Amino acid sequence: MDALSRIPQLLVYGIVSGSILSLGGIGVSLTYSILGFSNFAHGDTMALGAYLALALLPVMAQLGLPSGSLGPLSFGWDFVASLLLAAVGTSLAVILLDRLLFARLRDTHRITLMIATVGVALALRNLLQFVWGPQPHYYTTTIQRAILIPQLGIRIKPDQIFIVAAAVLLALLLHLFLRYTKMGKAMRATSDNTALARVTGINTERVILWTWVIGASLAAVAGVLVGLENKFITPELGWQMLLSIFAAVILGGIGNPYGAIVGGLVVGISEEVSTAFISTGYKPAVAFAILILMLLIRPTGLLGRRR
Amino acid sequence: MSRLTIERVVSGYADMEVLHGIDLCVPEGEIVTIIGPNGAGKSTLMKTIFGLLKPTAGRILFDEEDITGLSPDRVVRRGLAYVPQVENVFPSLTIQENLEMGAFILKGHLRDRLQHIYELFPVLGDRQKARAGKMSGGERQMVAMGRALMLDPRLLMLDEPSAALAPNLTATIFERIAAINEAGVTILIVEQNAKESLKLSDRGCVFAGGLKCFEDSGPALLANEEIGRLYLGG
Repeated sequence: MDALSRIPQLLVYGIVSGSILSLGGIGVSLTYSILGFSNFAHGDTMALGAYLALALLPVMAQLGLPSGSLGPLSFGWDFVASLLLAAVGTSLAVILLDRLLFARLRDTHRITLMIATVGVALALRNLLQFVWGPQPHYYTTTIQRAILIPQLGIRIKPDQIFIVAAAVLLALLLHLFLRYTKMGKAMRATSDNTALARVTGINTERVILWTWVIGASLAAVAGVLVGLENKFITPELGWQMLLSIFAAVILGGIGNPYGAIVGGLVVGISEEVSTAFISTGYKPAVAFAILILMLLIRPTGLLGRRR
Repeated sequence: MSRLTIERVVSGYADMEVLHGIDLCVPEGEIVTIIGPNGAGKSTLMKTIFGLLKPTAGRILFDEEDITGLSPDRVVRRGLAYVPQVENVFPSLTIQENLEMGAFILKGHLRDRLQHIYELFPVLGDRQKARAGKMSGGERQMVAMGRALMLDPRLLMLDEPSAALAPNLTATIFERIAAINEAGVTILIVEQNAKESLKLSDRGCVFAGGLKCFEDSGPALLANEEIGRLYLGG
């Protein structure tokens, strides 16, 4: 098959992986805008979520949640429940990390904080490897039939539709939260100007708490969705995606969660479509190229503003 | 009664002491203006009162209660409001959202309060959904003052309210400040070019080198030739 005729199919893959990158990117962007540092532990937070869901899956089945497949999807209600609880668990873990570590470093230089996140990233990944081992784990071994759409020349699995739908739903919820709730507005205000937020009477520590909860929840969901798409999880799954996530966040404009969504889709689609022309092994290079180009042409990103 | 009392406050940044023992008294219901050159410690005093900087010595009393070293959100709860000199609005938020943030610590509906602010600044009422970042300097100043007034503060602190404003706008802003004071709000203003401000003020203080060096009634300070030559640009 020639390169061009593969593009519609690659677009589908790109939208799927872009949706996951977007979910991961939102957390990185929010952390940067509210707390002022780049969180290199975000990828491993995704992996933590993926493993928590793995651990919860048998528990949910024991609690009597039906594990039979939901319609054409490869998973049942037990998986959905595990996904949601993994988000809660990951949030709690990240809040604990903030209390133990980041809160103490709140007023230090952002480089100190960034290096601390690298330490957290290593610790988390090795913890996962220590508990679950380096070998891949599977949520389900069900083999799923792709749906063929011959008119468009694409095939798509029901699970992939679920991934995109979940990302769209979560992005929409985030939008409504930021736009219409008092805490959402306070988050935008704190992101605009933390010192002014404080003298206005906004409880910035509570804003920070919400930032971690939203970022960690979306990271956990992203991590589980990676497992669903790839069919397996390893302790490395988040770390491997971190470059693409940062490329997406910077492309969209770091600090802007909407930019992270746009950037995630652009990077995801570019990476997949590039495989029509160059070897799959160069996918990370594509993310890198986008990152460098953006930093050269428009360092503030597509939707970024001057800071 | 003294609304705000500063007693021998020493404050500044980690590696530089800026205020070397300031005393100041802001009586209830009055307008007090602090003038002085750049670096005299005017903004540092404002930040210290509001808990953004911790004083290393001295006391700050608000309505006879010690508020020294309280965090900014606690200070807001006590009834102080502060309008910084620059970057005093949330640019990506709408005007209405900026005002809502001013009442963050309140629960429940804000309609009456918003209405009150829109009556005070009708320009803002016409453009509730506009982003504050797109407004002119004068309109931003009004948004910032409106936000600070959302909680009906007992003391309003303004850092250079007329900085970088066109002369006709300066007049409007000071006319509003006078109206706010008429409504019973005590006001502390810091100004570099302070003629307009001193005209309104019950008291004026001159800061230099982190110390208060002179104090008099506003009009008397304005009439003082030496002060005029040194600090008011002749």
